Amino acid sequence: MSPTLLIARDELRLMRRNRVAVIAFVLLVLLTLTAAVTAWSHQQGIADLRQRHQTAADSAFDAQPNRHPHRVVHYGTFIFRPLGPLAAFDPGVDAFTGNSMFLEGHRQNTANFGDVRQSSLLIRFGQLTPAFVLQAVAPLLLIFLGYGAIARERERGTLRPLMLQGASRGQIVAGKLGGLGLVALLAGLPAMLGFVLIAGQPGAQVEPMAVIALGYGVYLALWAVLILLVSALVKRSRDALLALLALWAVLVVLLPRIAPDMAGAAVPLDNRLQTDIAVARDLRTMGGSHNPDDPHFARFKQAVLERYGVGRIEDLPVNYKGLLGMEGERLTSELFNRYAAESYDAQERQNGTVRAIGVLSPAMALRAMSMAAAGTDFAGHRRFLEQAEAYRYDLIQRLNRLQANAVIYADDTAQDPDADRRKRVAADYWQAMPDFTFRQPDGLTLAAAALPSLGVLILWLIAAGGGLLFATRRLGAR
Amino acid sequence: MPEPASASIELSGVSLSYGAHRVLDGLALRVDRGMIYALLGGNGAGKSTTLSVLLGFAKPDAGAVRVAGLDPVAKADAARQRIAYLPENVALYEHLTAIENADYLLALSGEPKPREAIVGAFGAAGLQERAWDQQLGGFSKGMRQKVAIAVALLREVPVLLLDEPTSGLDPRATADFNGLLAAVRERGTAVLMVTHDLMSAVDVADRIGFIDAGRIVDEVAAEGAERFDLRALHDRFANDVAAA
Repeated sequence: MSPTLLIARDELRLMRRNRVAVIAFVLLVLLTLTAAVTAWSHQQGIADLRQRHQTAADSAFDAQPNRHPHRVVHYGTFIFRPLGPLAAFDPGVDAFTGNSMFLEGHRQNTANFGDVRQSSLLIRFGQLTPAFVLQAVAPLLLIFLGYGAIARERERGTLRPLMLQGASRGQIVAGKLGGLGLVALLAGLPAMLGFVLIAGQPGAQVEPMAVIALGYGVYLALWAVLILLVSALVKRSRDALLALLALWAVLVVLLPRIAPDMAGAAVPLDNRLQTDIAVARDLRTMGGSHNPDDPHFARFKQAVLERYGVGRIEDLPVNYKGLLGMEGERLTSELFNRYAAESYDAQERQNGTVRAIGVLSPAMALRAMSMAAAGTDFAGHRRFLEQAEAYRYDLIQRLNRLQANAVIYADDTAQDPDADRRKRVAADYWQAMPDFTFRQPDGLTLAAAALPSLGVLILWLIAAGGGLLFATRRLGAR
Repeated sequence: MPEPASASIELSGVSLSYGAHRVLDGLALRVDRGMIYALLGGNGAGKSTTLSVLLGFAKPDAGAVRVAGLDPVAKADAARQRIAYLPENVALYEHLTAIENADYLLALSGEPKPREAIVGAFGAAGLQERAWDQQLGGFSKGMRQKVAIAVALLREVPVLLLDEPTSGLDPRATADFNGLLAAVRERGTAVLMVTHDLMSAVDVADRIGFIDAGRIVDEVAAEGAERFDLRALHDRFANDVAAA
């Protein structure tokens, strides 16, 4: 057996004989298994719940009686964001962003009912997911198991005798790294078992799963290298432990915590109330279709009359009120979209700041990679909002068009007792309206979105590996 | 005319400084096969640095060093394959039993031995049988040293370097240890022993060198049945230590 394998075997033997290390490892495995099972169960529960709510909302919409299309515009409908299978591994921002929306005419509502608003405060500290265990807890275990790998040999005077037995510096470090790396691999296995469950689900995509598995592998390997590096650089085991705990606290806790605050301070974002007030102000200045003196709608009316070659709206072959509704919805949607774009832009700049800070923290890079591949990051949330708005706009304009084509203008403006009956259109129309279907991007797109963060992780690994090579050359020197 | 013994350890004109402090200053010594050489000197005389140079952990500024015919700095790994080293405080693995320690260290050196050979060496080193399968946590210094010397015996290397080997040992353990060294010498191993223990050196060494300020200032070879003039050596050593 080569010296490298002998040293790795002895490192594992030392850990095996350390009762605290064994208990800590078993606890981590149990924690990861628990996280995998509970996250899976939680995700299934959420998926079922959202599916039931979506079915109920669709049924309620379809069950509307014969009525005026504009009443349907205001009746609106609820939509729910379905979660992909990988959300069980990393739910990302889903617990914090809303996952349902009420769609109606004239308004662009925001997503509501994020889990953190409906659950105990504890959820704000992070859900127990396999991703959280691997990102935060597994490195801590590796630190406790490996901090003394080299420092202990130096401290107890066994390093030089080890080298005198013929083991080269490189073999010693490679052996220690092999031992700790195997533990890291074993620590990551239970989480990967969750992947096996996910892989069997409909909609599971191979590419993002491969990127996630690779990313977490690189992350745990990076911690193993960092632990060996610190252990090789300091003289005493205690110093190595303190240095590594400080490093963990900064990289895994502090930077991820302060980065969003820094981004928020660098790029202020209006809150919902401020945005609502600004939108209301702009809506007032936009004018109204009911105002005969409004210049925009006066021009619109003239353009419609010219297009149909008639002199009065009563002579139009279509219901002018339906056309007016379409134009009004177009204008308000443009306004809403402008505010949404400004908000997205600000949030993208905030995320850019967080990503820039994230270069300093492999934990942040891993989190970004994991969420991007799972489709549970901000981009995934934005996809839902944009698809929801596109669906809302299409639905409302279909209803406005229905009013224009299926309700006669004279009936629409009539006030006689039978007018209400004549304004109604058949319920078949609502049932024929398309339902909302959230389209997840394909696997390659999700995997590609995760690659920049994976690149940061790989750069960290290369840098730490370079540092370890340097420390290895100095091993045993006076 | 008898053939001259080949030198297993040879230093000639070796100088080494740490910053402005010159630790070795033209050091020259030679230890032949089957010879025990005791290097005596006061604190800071250069004894431990001499061992570091022979082990390849310190690179001389000038001079030539050969261990079993190899330059220990340029050919560190190969030279270390030919050296057994016992530091003053024998460092072994406390989570391993005595046998596991020996098994691990011998496997690392590329010379694995069966359990029978290991317990045989333990017996020769005087390690009691009940200690063989115990972890080293509760071992005394003497017991650890016996494990280490057993490993050195099993490795059958041409060079054995000892750093204060009898420091902290009781007289009985010291006598046992010296007996082991004599056995090692019989196998043709070159032994360099750095020590403060003049009595032990007199008891077992074939040649005693006095090192002061990084150079050998006096060298005495054992002669006749008396081997050494103990009083003269004592005076000489006391003067050196006092000067240091």
